[in-house]
Amino acid sequence: MSSASEPAQGTGSRFQRNSAMLELLSKAGLGLAILVVILYGALSSPVFFTTGNMVNILTSMAIVGIVVVGMTFVLVVGGLADLSVPATIACGAILSLALQPSIGAVPAFALAIALAGFCGLISGLLVGYVGINPIIATLGVGTIVLGIVQAAVGGVIVYGTNPASADFVKSRVFGIPTIVLIFLVVTLVGHFVLGRTTWGRWTFATGSNANAAKASAVPVRAVKAGAFVITGLCAGLSGGLLGLTLQSARPLVGTGYEFSAITAVVVGGVSIMGGFGSVPRAIVGLIFVSVLTNVMVLEGVRTPTQGFVLGLLIAVAVAADVALRRRGVA
Amino acid sequence: MDLLSQFVRYRVGIILGLTIIVASALVPGFFGLTTLSLGLDRASTIGLIAIGLTVLLIAGQIDLSVGSVFALSGIVAVTLQPSLGLGPAAVVGVLAGAACGAFNALLSVVFKVNALVATLATMLIFRSIAHWLTDSQPVAGTDIMFSITLAKIYLNLFTVRSAMFLVGIVLLHIWLTRAVAGRNLFAVGSSAPAAEASGISVGWTMAAGFIFASTMAGVAGVLQSLATNTGSPVFGSELTVMVIAAVVVGGTRLEGGRGSALGTLGGVLTIASLTTAMEFSSVPAYFQQVVAGFILILLVVLDRTVKPRTRAHSAGAPAP
Repeated sequence: MSSASEPAQGTGSRFQRNSAMLELLSKAGLGLAILVVILYGALSSPVFFTTGNMVNILTSMAIVGIVVVGMTFVLVVGGLADLSVPATIACGAILSLALQPSIGAVPAFALAIALAGFCGLISGLLVGYVGINPIIATLGVGTIVLGIVQAAVGGVIVYGTNPASADFVKSRVFGIPTIVLIFLVVTLVGHFVLGRTTWGRWTFATGSNANAAKASAVPVRAVKAGAFVITGLCAGLSGGLLGLTLQSARPLVGTGYEFSAITAVVVGGVSIMGGFGSVPRAIVGLIFVSVLTNVMVLEGVRTPTQGFVLGLLIAVAVAADVALRRRGVA
Repeated sequence: MDLLSQFVRYRVGIILGLTIIVASALVPGFFGLTTLSLGLDRASTIGLIAIGLTVLLIAGQIDLSVGSVFALSGIVAVTLQPSLGLGPAAVVGVLAGAACGAFNALLSVVFKVNALVATLATMLIFRSIAHWLTDSQPVAGTDIMFSITLAKIYLNLFTVRSAMFLVGIVLLHIWLTRAVAGRNLFAVGSSAPAAEASGISVGWTMAAGFIFASTMAGVAGVLQSLATNTGSPVFGSELTVMVIAAVVVGGTRLEGGRGSALGTLGGVLTIASLTTAMEFSSVPAYFQQVVAGFILILLVVLDRTVKPRTRAHSAGAPAP
């Protein structure tokens, strides 16, 4: 597939592109879009600006947002997208509830995240070391993992047995839900790793030009694999929190989260070709998507239409990214 | 290594042979005409989509939205039955599939969006349209009796669908091996710049591939909805992995430039006999998905790690 060679072709653009104006415009454009949606929401619905609704937006944002942080790594490293997210979320949600009676709430939670990370490791090995196309690899791994998780619990819904853990997730600190705080911590850690550490630099180097990075002694394969492990861990954490919040988990609990996460990341302006982007950018994209979804829900827009808008957003954002980067070369 | 490359070369035959042995051990009367004809009928749904996907994969592109197109065109064909009549509605359904393909082509050929990402987005879009058209409810057709016509078994073995699939495979085989356009397809998939330099219109070839793949998914979807007299927005959601697995088992490479119609036939039959065998031993549906995913990953890994010696007639795919 042409995808394998694409990151290499697109690399020149990122360095020659001295169009800070354009970048500013694209950043400000998204901010403007968020403002417009908020304004529309405030005018059209009386409940939009209530505390309850704001907490709703933040909570739903937090669950997707933790995945978004991981997905940012995958896109920046040039790994296209991780489609195993629904499976790893289900892994996190189902295991963290199903294992509660036998090993206790906290170990169950930790084990669920670790196993989700292990699924990410398998995807990562396939992508980084074997060189399989990331989308095919994660599609296959996701199918397998979801099937195994379903088989493990017999294909039924799992319920929580530990009220203390549910109370912890639903608790608030200074009026902010704990989940949102966890999301903030994950975001900060993700931003620090991607923006300030050697690993982050390696991720950018691998995403912009894998060959050059390899020549500069960057462990390209490990960095690629690592991005998928990070996403696996994030999705596991997100799934665990989701499971504890709902106190029930069915195998398809994570369906759709991969699209929400991908939409947020690409709308935020992280390039699907790799080598460009940041966690805050992805989070801005997430804010836009979350607020838009919230307004659509308040307006009574039906779920299919929301999916339609999400898909269209992905297509338009990626097409715009390709077009802008091509213009940057010229 | 030599043994492995031999295995990769003849893998369709080997895998199909093994599967059939296992299946005949598990399923009583596997070779009975009824089991075979029903199995073949079921296989033709995957098979018709696989024909389209084989062409697209040889051209070096991919379509993840086939499952959604499958559902959407079936729904179009069923919902239009009262106003247009059965035949015209079916045609419109197939055309809807073709239109989906044109949209995929627009995104990936004109706007140069990576095919995987583009069809990932359209997978969501088409599925949403399917839900939107039907209010997320299954819709019923007008003529229940027609599904019986489709299910009728001719010559003790073929249904309309399986006959269409087998004829399609034969036509595809002739087209890929004998026609200039078929050869161009391999050239585009092996090296798009080289193909462009030798005067092949790469863009149009790829666009035609996208439209063909979606049209075949449309045909399969319309036939399915006619056979069950139902259009449902959840149809085909598990098809994507199955179909890609079938095509890859058949030796078509995800990187483009290599593939064959007979290989795809073998791949489809493999997946079909596996499914039949697992259903007969009452393996749960989710575990069948695990097997399909596992086969897909295993073969793609084999494709990456083992380089078979280049075959003279496979349009000379260069070793990377």
